[in-house]
Amino acid sequence: MATKRKVAKRSKSTKKPNASPKASARRAVSIATSSQRTVKERVAAAAEAPLAVCENEKDLQAMLNVLRNKDEPAKVRLAALQSLQAASFSVLAFEPCRGEYIATLRKVAEDPDPELRQRVLGLLAREKDGFAQKKLLEGLRNPGKALLPPEKALQLLSYDVHAEAYSAARDIVKKPPSEIARREALRLLAADASAAPLFEKLLRDKNELREIRQISASALHALKPEKLQETARKILLDKSDYDDIKATSLTALTQFGDDEALGKDKALLKSVDRLSAGEAPAKYKQSARRFLSKYGR
Amino acid sequence: MRNVAIASTQSEPQFAALVDATAADPDRREQLTELLREDHPLYAGRGAAAIVRMRGWILLAMARTGVSDAALIFVLEELDTGTDAYLVAATARALRSYPRPNAALAPFVMRALANIRYRDEPVSFESYGEYAVSSTGTTPVRELLATLAWLGPYAQGALQELESLRAQVGGRSRKLRKDVDRAMQAIRGADQTDESNTQACCRAPPDGVSNPSFRGLKSRCGFAPIDSIVFEDHKGELITFKEFFQGQPSIVVFFYTRCGNPMKCSLTVTKLARIQKLLEAQGLADQVRTAAITYDPAFDLPERLRVYGQDRGVRMDAQHRMLRATDDNDTLRKHFELGVNFVESLVNRHRIELYILDAEGRTAASFERIHWDEQQVVTRTIEVLKE
Repeated sequence: MATKRKVAKRSKSTKKPNASPKASARRAVSIATSSQRTVKERVAAAAEAPLAVCENEKDLQAMLNVLRNKDEPAKVRLAALQSLQAASFSVLAFEPCRGEYIATLRKVAEDPDPELRQRVLGLLAREKDGFAQKKLLEGLRNPGKALLPPEKALQLLSYDVHAEAYSAARDIVKKPPSEIARREALRLLAADASAAPLFEKLLRDKNELREIRQISASALHALKPEKLQETARKILLDKSDYDDIKATSLTALTQFGDDEALGKDKALLKSVDRLSAGEAPAKYKQSARRFLSKYGR
Repeated sequence: MRNVAIASTQSEPQFAALVDATAADPDRREQLTELLREDHPLYAGRGAAAIVRMRGWILLAMARTGVSDAALIFVLEELDTGTDAYLVAATARALRSYPRPNAALAPFVMRALANIRYRDEPVSFESYGEYAVSSTGTTPVRELLATLAWLGPYAQGALQELESLRAQVGGRSRKLRKDVDRAMQAIRGADQTDESNTQACCRAPPDGVSNPSFRGLKSRCGFAPIDSIVFEDHKGELITFKEFFQGQPSIVVFFYTRCGNPMKCSLTVTKLARIQKLLEAQGLADQVRTAAITYDPAFDLPERLRVYGQDRGVRMDAQHRMLRATDDNDTLRKHFELGVNFVESLVNRHRIELYILDAEGRTAASFERIHWDEQQVVTRTIEVLKE
């Protein structure tokens, strides 16, 4: 009920009775871009503006100016960005406005406001924009110039397999600025065919964090599935390894393994038998029982 | 003519300086064309974005010095399949320096416009590697419109499309509307031109440029080293080059599943599926083999090959396979002189290429750079079959 009241109130601020959707949207643009209005009014109006943002040059420029202007309240600039982004989804209608939009995003990518910067770089990275990729890579190589934290930069670079980020990601894995950056670097390297030996090593390493070992299992499945099968078997035979990693290994064998070979692997079946009867949490035991039942045990 | 001494270790600014120096020297200008070959060592080990910057700079140098007949195929290739804003813009500008504008060029410009118009963005040609952060400069669409204006009456077939673009722009961008108007005016402006020539735009191009991708017969030399190359197919079965490619003629295309350009690998493999259907329709599916071989064998494992082929309607059986070289990809690359380069194991740039092999497994013909007509490939294959 409260939501309905809010919507009604907002509509009142931008819509005139019997106005067409486009006319309402144009009125919304004029409110969203007016410094005479309150922040609340402008943010609400920006949400209703996308339909008109690319209807004429004046409205587009007004909205882009709000986004560019560092003196505008951050909330209003973010709302303007959201409005432009929504308008850009209508690819055909937005065609004549795209050039100005991309140029503005590149400009705002270096804005002092960290949230705006991150949002804008995210939008550009999704477009596989060369400018954004260059800036993100520069930041990884020279943290003093970084526009975003390394983990976020890696995440955005991973949108494009051709972004030249593998070497920077490898450096971060070797000398991580933080555990979260190392994790993102490994996620990015999961598409690098030459990284299979690294993931094999990490998956076998019992001192490694669980999440990293799980990422490694998934990466190995993508890059060298036969190596994952081999490593998963070794983990299951290793009495000292952890139950959750064993369960991950078991899933890999159950889903993607060679049924004939696994059914004859007595050592493996015995080890899984032990897992199903031991003191492991119920969900791991269930995985073990599922695996065994597949082979009539 | 590999005279330009540029190593892959050279920095990008050094490369840019060398391109400028080569362009400034009338005796060496022609060497710029050689630098556009994808397999040139200077591209080895560089990222895809660096290659865009480098090739763009060569094309901009050509825009100043003039595009030669030998370089034209590279320009047409980029217009035919390019999706990078900077490269397409630089290419459109370069084409305007070609000394013989003609109607056969217009369909390429229109195709580039169709490919890039929804990806338009500002580009900067001011200095090497610069990205535009304002919209005061140019864009690929603006450059393509300027090229249509340069073609003038030769681009008459483009008028309808330009009308619709103009309507779409409406009041949204005065700058763009002005460029469209200028192009339309230039095209309409020369009614005195011979109609038979101007109407050729957007129909089949005239002789000479009618089939720019066809390379005809290659020297059919023996190639024992490649016979033993082992491939793994989409089902994980192993087969040597000799086992698959000898005994019957075959059609081979190259691709990789991670290619981000829908006008290249995805379209190539889709067109291979159409070729297979044409062969089937003529009762030749058992007499001609087809193969799609990946450039990226380390990543393109059998399951990926199978799904990629299946999604594009490729027939896959013992006669028709998706393949990856299990080792010795370099020998395969040298044998076909593939137009591809790599950064580590990842492809950084490639051309499109299709080969027709005779029953001995020797290259009988190739179609390179520009997208081929499927029927033409089948016709040429039938000729090889009858030999």
